[in-house]
Amino acid sequence: MAQQQSIGRFFSANGTTAQKLESKPASSNAAKRSLTPSLDSSPKRRETVAPTDDTDPTSEEDRPTEPQMSTKEEVEKLIELGEVEHAHHKNEKLMATPSSSKLPYSKLTSVFEEIEAESGRLKMISIISEFYLEVLQQSTVDKLVKIVYLSINRLGPDYEPDLELGLGETLLIKAISECYGRASSKIKQDYKTFGDLGLVAQQSRSGQPTMFKPTPLDVDLVFDSLTKIAKSTGKDSQMKKVGLINKLLTACERKTTEAKFLIRSLEGKLRIGLAEKTVLIGLAQAFTNYENHAMTPENITKAEDIIRESFSLIPNYEIIIKTAYEHGIFNLLDHIHLTPGIPLKPMLAKPTKSISEVLDRFQGEEFTCEYKYDGERAQVHLLSDGSVRIYSRNSEDMSQRYPDLIAIIKDFIKVQEDSDGTPIKSLILDCEAVAWDRQLNKILPFQVLSTRKRKDVNEKDIKVHICLFAFDILYLNGESVVNKTLAERRELMYENLKPIEGKFCFATSRNSSNLDELQIFLDQSVKDSCEGLMVKMLNSKESYYEPSKRSRNWLKLKKDYLAGVGDSLDLVVVGAYNGRGKRTGNYGGFLLASYNDDTGEFETTCKIGTGFSDEDLTSLYNSLHPTEISQPKGSYVYDPSAVPDVWFEPTTLFEVLTADLSLSPIYKAGHQEFTKGISLRFPRFLRIREDKGVEDATTSEQVIEFYSKQASVQS
Amino acid sequence: MLEGKFDEASLLKKIVDSIKDSVKMCNINCTEHGLTVQAVDDSRVLLVSLLVGQSAFTEYRCDRDITLGIELDSFGKILRCGNNEDYLTLLAEDKPDSVMAIFEDKKKERVSEYSLKLMDIDSEFLNIDDMDYDAVITMPSTEFGKTVKDLKNLSESLNIVVTKDSVKLSSEGESGSGSVVLKPYSDIDHPEETISINLDNPVDLTFGLKYLGDIIKATSLSSSITIKLADKTPALFEYKLDAGGYLRFYLAPKFDEDE
Repeated sequence: MAQQQSIGRFFSANGTTAQKLESKPASSNAAKRSLTPSLDSSPKRRETVAPTDDTDPTSEEDRPTEPQMSTKEEVEKLIELGEVEHAHHKNEKLMATPSSSKLPYSKLTSVFEEIEAESGRLKMISIISEFYLEVLQQSTVDKLVKIVYLSINRLGPDYEPDLELGLGETLLIKAISECYGRASSKIKQDYKTFGDLGLVAQQSRSGQPTMFKPTPLDVDLVFDSLTKIAKSTGKDSQMKKVGLINKLLTACERKTTEAKFLIRSLEGKLRIGLAEKTVLIGLAQAFTNYENHAMTPENITKAEDIIRESFSLIPNYEIIIKTAYEHGIFNLLDHIHLTPGIPLKPMLAKPTKSISEVLDRFQGEEFTCEYKYDGERAQVHLLSDGSVRIYSRNSEDMSQRYPDLIAIIKDFIKVQEDSDGTPIKSLILDCEAVAWDRQLNKILPFQVLSTRKRKDVNEKDIKVHICLFAFDILYLNGESVVNKTLAERRELMYENLKPIEGKFCFATSRNSSNLDELQIFLDQSVKDSCEGLMVKMLNSKESYYEPSKRSRNWLKLKKDYLAGVGDSLDLVVVGAYNGRGKRTGNYGGFLLASYNDDTGEFETTCKIGTGFSDEDLTSLYNSLHPTEISQPKGSYVYDPSAVPDVWFEPTTLFEVLTADLSLSPIYKAGHQEFTKGISLRFPRFLRIREDKGVEDATTSEQVIEFYSKQASVQS
Repeated sequence: MLEGKFDEASLLKKIVDSIKDSVKMCNINCTEHGLTVQAVDDSRVLLVSLLVGQSAFTEYRCDRDITLGIELDSFGKILRCGNNEDYLTLLAEDKPDSVMAIFEDKKKERVSEYSLKLMDIDSEFLNIDDMDYDAVITMPSTEFGKTVKDLKNLSESLNIVVTKDSVKLSSEGESGSGSVVLKPYSDIDHPEETISINLDNPVDLTFGLKYLGDIIKATSLSSSITIKLADKTPALFEYKLDAGGYLRFYLAPKFDEDE
């Protein structure tokens, strides 16, 4: 500590007298926030806090329509923590100088550091919301937007293309070597030891002070440079990127954690466990406080609900934050409107495993069944300027990947105009894109769809054709229709749109409440190459379209459910075992993990070795081998007695089926809930989920839910 | 207007070659006393300070201060076009956008002219203060150069420990370690072989060998090097130019995290 002196002072840029550097204990900078454990004064009750509602089937029963994000206890605890945090930062000055508009990057990274060291979700929320509040109070709303993006390691909304960082190790190692004066080989060695390039950069920076202090990094500069790096393409792009990276790296102050988080951001792995959910709650709390509303559980919960709902309609932090800033958090929903061109988060269905379970749920209600097509979710947007966009389940722009779909949509819009129907100006449809055999006029399995190219698709070369099955309409001619009943929405769809055989169809549906008919319809769906049925509430408020929610108003009934747990799980491949015998030279088995979206960690849940063809194993080896890492990621939660032969970067999801779930001492999924983890028994590989990112994996929370359901069924 | 004539082109060539790896671009400031350069390397750890005094030129004229923003790699290429023994004249207008280098063969009447476009380089004014050092070592530059090269193979840092009558240069690496101990030495017949140590306080400092590797590229400029050290202070490595002037490197020592 004593040596934390900057040598830069010796040579001053403005020419002060010679001053030899004496070691000075605890400079004023030592009071940096990241070093102060701020929970000391608050009681350590964190462990006893109840889990969120979604994980707890019984409390969900009490509030059937609106599972809330946080329980009342949680909110109260959160407020308490918030006050502690606030008291701690009473005199915190964010800006570089009172008159400066620059917000030092180091302020942000010290918050990151603090969050990284924290494992309790509530504490994390209170840290981040306090920081957001300070930004609102002392800086500008533009800065807050940038900070929010930096804290989830994004540079813009998900649907905007080319904002991915994820730079290669080699490039970054070279940059660290050049900027901090160390040999690349040494950095590689350190990287092997620590498994975190950010840490290596930090240590390299600390070891070698600079002669002159560079202009300190500020949030705008970092955000804008990162954006430039992400967007630079073309022949000189590599050089441009290196130039920008070097500039940022040399400007990192050695006493701060800037280098560590800068490198992690560049790698595209921030690893502080700040999930989207946490950020939204943090914002809700910060705004409530900023606008001087009483910090009551009611207000906080209300703000949370509003911001979450707004975000599921318009998943764009910039719009949400700026609108909330302008109109007030509680008026946010009046000013947030569904907009073609901005993909909303799709509504999801809950899995069930028997027809009787479905009937139990919908007893006495009017409901409807639709085919569950085995394809890829596609949200079709028609903008009022006539352009068409297609978004994936993750709100990624798929327009490049499906040029033929764009053509289909343009075709069918023309059909509407040619017939005497009302011309369609703008539209959002929820659809499933399915591979279609144009000769035999039938649906092809998903495996066929997945053979399509994912990049640089040329419409002429397409061999696998697609038919779009629309099952819901969310927006029509300038008006949002999500708050109409499903019956009304269907009516609108049937009235306004005309299907085109083999290109654009409506999902086959049937309204019935008869058990036998349901069974027949399910069998029929399977015969028609579908996965099963979607069962949906048809009338009343409960049939509104609920963006982003995995709602009990939509149930899915898959053909494979009828035995086993019900739904398949999408699990992250975190490791593998070397193959023996016939599988020698390939991986023989894999270690899978669920994603804990509270902590951002991957929790191991089973080893899998069945369901793979020889071709599967070979292609998996080819695709996974390059992602091998020598050390497990810091975000992997595993038992030392169940260590695989190799570890991977989290990149790939397997869809797997399981006979049932059981508690296990060596697996970790949901371990915070049950001390032991939940493990899959007899897991079976179905396919690779290429349409999902690792953070869309089945969450530990869902695994807990599956397990609890199963437990209650059995008892 | 600047007009400076070197008796031998080799001097400037050597100077540019010694610094072009640490500093890619720099401003050469021309005043009536000569040329000066002050620049930091990209990582801001190594500072280069150069003075080519008026006396190093056979003819020198500079009525008004001129700044030449130079990309050193290109400049080095131009300087390589002349022979070492050629006269070299640098010419620049008062507000120049290029600088001329003119080589004249001393025997034949061959004259070659090159011009280099100048750049606009931002540079902060860096003030370097004179200060007292704890230890001053003078030794043959080749000896220092060899030691640095040898130890660079072993490790990424070099430890320099100076006591009353010895200097110990050592490195410890994964594959092994090495050290060189030097004692004061004087040889009247070969003064360039002299090793002298002046010590006020013992010193123990560690430096990044990557940077030392850059510094020793200047070995050919002078037969001896003077190293000035003080605790927790940038060290000064100086090569004196026989013709008048110096090339100095200031290097920030490394800090040990555990201390």
